[in-house]
Amino acid sequence: MLVAPEVLPTYLVNTLIRAFLYAAVAITVDILWGFTGILTFGQSAFFGFGAYAAALVFTHAGFGPGLALIAFGVAIVGAMLLALLVGWFAFHPGASPLYGSVITLVLPIVVSQLLYSGGSFTGSSSGLSGFESFDLSLEAWFRIAGVFLIATTAGVWLFLRSDGGRILEAIRDNEQRCEYLGIDVSRVKILLMMACGAIASCAGFLFACVQMVVAPEYAGFAFGTELLMWVALGGRGTLIGPLIGTLLLDTSTSYLSGSLPFLWKLLSGLAFVVVIVALPQGLLPALASAIRRAWRRGAPASVAPTAEVELHSADPQPLAGLASAGRLALSVKDVHKRFGSLQVLRGIGFAVRPNELLSLIGPNGAGKTTLMRCIADGAERSSGTVRLNDHDIRHSSPAACVALGAGRKFQNANVFDSLTVAQSMRVARTRLKRPSLWRRERALALPTAALEVMRATGLDRQLHVASRDLSHGMKQALELAMVLALEPSVLLLDEPTAGLTKAERTLIGRILLDLTQSHTLCVLLVEHDLDFVHEISTRIIVLHQGQIVLDGSVEEVVNSDLVREIYAGAATPGAHG
Amino acid sequence: MTLVLDMLTTAAILYGVAAGLLIVFGVMKIINFAHGAFLTVGGYAALLVTHLGWNPWWSLPVAFAVGGACGAIVERLVMKPLYKRPLDAILATWGLAIVIGQCITLVFDRGVQFVQSPLTGAIDFLGISYSSYRLFVIPLSLAVVGLLGWMMNGSRLGLVTRAVIMNEDLARALGINTGMVRLATFSLGAGLAGLAGALITPLSSVDPNMGVPWLVNAFMIVMVSGVSLVSLGVACLVLGSAQVLVSTWANPILGGLTIVVLAAVILRVRPEGFARA
Repeated sequence: MLVAPEVLPTYLVNTLIRAFLYAAVAITVDILWGFTGILTFGQSAFFGFGAYAAALVFTHAGFGPGLALIAFGVAIVGAMLLALLVGWFAFHPGASPLYGSVITLVLPIVVSQLLYSGGSFTGSSSGLSGFESFDLSLEAWFRIAGVFLIATTAGVWLFLRSDGGRILEAIRDNEQRCEYLGIDVSRVKILLMMACGAIASCAGFLFACVQMVVAPEYAGFAFGTELLMWVALGGRGTLIGPLIGTLLLDTSTSYLSGSLPFLWKLLSGLAFVVVIVALPQGLLPALASAIRRAWRRGAPASVAPTAEVELHSADPQPLAGLASAGRLALSVKDVHKRFGSLQVLRGIGFAVRPNELLSLIGPNGAGKTTLMRCIADGAERSSGTVRLNDHDIRHSSPAACVALGAGRKFQNANVFDSLTVAQSMRVARTRLKRPSLWRRERALALPTAALEVMRATGLDRQLHVASRDLSHGMKQALELAMVLALEPSVLLLDEPTAGLTKAERTLIGRILLDLTQSHTLCVLLVEHDLDFVHEISTRIIVLHQGQIVLDGSVEEVVNSDLVREIYAGAATPGAHG
Repeated sequence: MTLVLDMLTTAAILYGVAAGLLIVFGVMKIINFAHGAFLTVGGYAALLVTHLGWNPWWSLPVAFAVGGACGAIVERLVMKPLYKRPLDAILATWGLAIVIGQCITLVFDRGVQFVQSPLTGAIDFLGISYSSYRLFVIPLSLAVVGLLGWMMNGSRLGLVTRAVIMNEDLARALGINTGMVRLATFSLGAGLAGLAGALITPLSSVDPNMGVPWLVNAFMIVMVSGVSLVSLGVACLVLGSAQVLVSTWANPILGGLTIVVLAAVILRVRPEGFARA
């Protein structure tokens, strides 16, 4: 780092300065795409923004320390505002991943076309050059760019391995689960976009200062996809891969494109296609795993050493963030749900007090799961009102409903495949305990209920097992434990014990019963197993064809003729034929 | 009046360019970023026809055939492993576009070249004089719409294809060779891109990167229109007209951005776009 610029040829030093800055931008692409799953074509626009911020100020206002500082401020703040705008478009709740990518594709096109149409102000297609800049030697710039890259990499590395960094992977794995754990995914993505935009803009600013020439191409779509190619070839989802990939590819491009202009581009395009198709993890991770395999041939793969996690019980914070607990835990009034002309729910109304364990039963297609959805997501129902702890949920997102006390477990195990059990539980606690953005904590404090479920099912002995390697029953238990970690006051469980053994089921039944009795919690349970329902419920609602046909105590419902008829399929009350 | 004709012909051209992309997106749920490259291939097929001294009308079927053949090869070699990874498919097809573009550059050089037009001159239409070739594009696009509509809704191939669109697993279980349907679809999409390339070359010129701006516009239009040939028509008319208006009254560079920006805003406000509008 210190001697390199003295001994290397000038052309290489110049090329490396550029490659260092590009590599910093490639790392932001990797954070967004490799770690969070947002395919972005648009980081070039932020790079171009930073470069033009410097070039425009230095060209039109002149150069000076104060002006340079202003230009730098414009580059950072402007890029963050631009990222905010892009994020508002790309990540609004309900936006598909494809739409997000579309927006990141539109961004560089718009920015570069605006630069083209800027006339003499932006220099149009020939860009701006010949402006005054910092009077520093090439060697000094080499060190500055190198330090910038190292600092960026180190900062990103710290963040990605911290507890906060796990949230990015959780979003990549399962956005829906994140929403239902009370994490505002849109907000996280927008903040991430802003941070990545600022870093890329900073790289662009330095680029303009060194090269003293900027052109619209640096903000364009082609450069944006080139960044993606470097990241893909190096290895997305790793930090070192894109770094090395960018340094090697950009340097070799600047050497080889002179002697083999078209062929080099052809070959790199070909390599890109082959890597995407055959080695989606990238070249470096593929190489690394091949070496590792050759290294310990036959030896069993050792589990990656991870820091020991200590489980604690957390101080209960029921209804965190709510002004007061309501008299009713949940009240549903005249809720309808239509899919086109199909009426799935008609005029559903009931109220549940805390300490009740209410089971919803009914044949397939009765609307049980739909009703659960309407309670946990304000955007679902067609009409009617739902109140959680006496707060109207209006059209709130699932994350906002979690803040009002809802906790929903899905019918099929819905977990984060690549996170371990301990990491998943920590992500589940995000809403109540903000994770550190640079540190990994040892202690993991969980509410008693979640701990009990983990102990009962043996999850506490598998803290370092990746969720995808758990058995089906264990995934169900993990999801239940994650939902309980939210300390919900209205627990929505959609067949929580499917796939569990009889013993585990009894244990979970006991825990649920205990929860409703000793904590201020109401449980809404969808179950097919009538024996299980009979054992633990305090009240049962029977749904049939989208309507409540029975609402009463366990004895009333279990002994009613109506229930027997419905389950035997003999009658269709309340409907013709 | 000229303005109205400009809008109509622009919409017709956009329709020709976007139709192939829509077919591939509808059936395979894959965004084919090599669409622009296939369009370029069509343009060079037309150039070849000019060089060989054939009647310029031949350029249309030749371009369709060449594009379709390229599409079939690409589907077999590259697309097959990517159906489960739609975002990766975007990247792989973009890489392909680079490869195809560089191959063309190596063979034909990177310069701009011109193609002979099958129809030259202007004709008097409703009292104004207008380029006869541009007018000819309108019936041709309508013919493409009609043919595609018939294929999707009136033929057995269309029935099978629609079955694959709705539920691929079930279609496969019923004995439909979904692999063949994909091959045929991708090839048809690429062929349509080639045809569009041959169609637009007499209006502009041929160069190895001619496909890129078209790709972006067509992509945005397909995003807005969803999976229907009718809503694609609506999207082309609305966005194409907006482009013409902005280009005429503001400036051409902003006009070039109109489709992209407008489509992004439409999708933000109404995620389903023009589908079932």
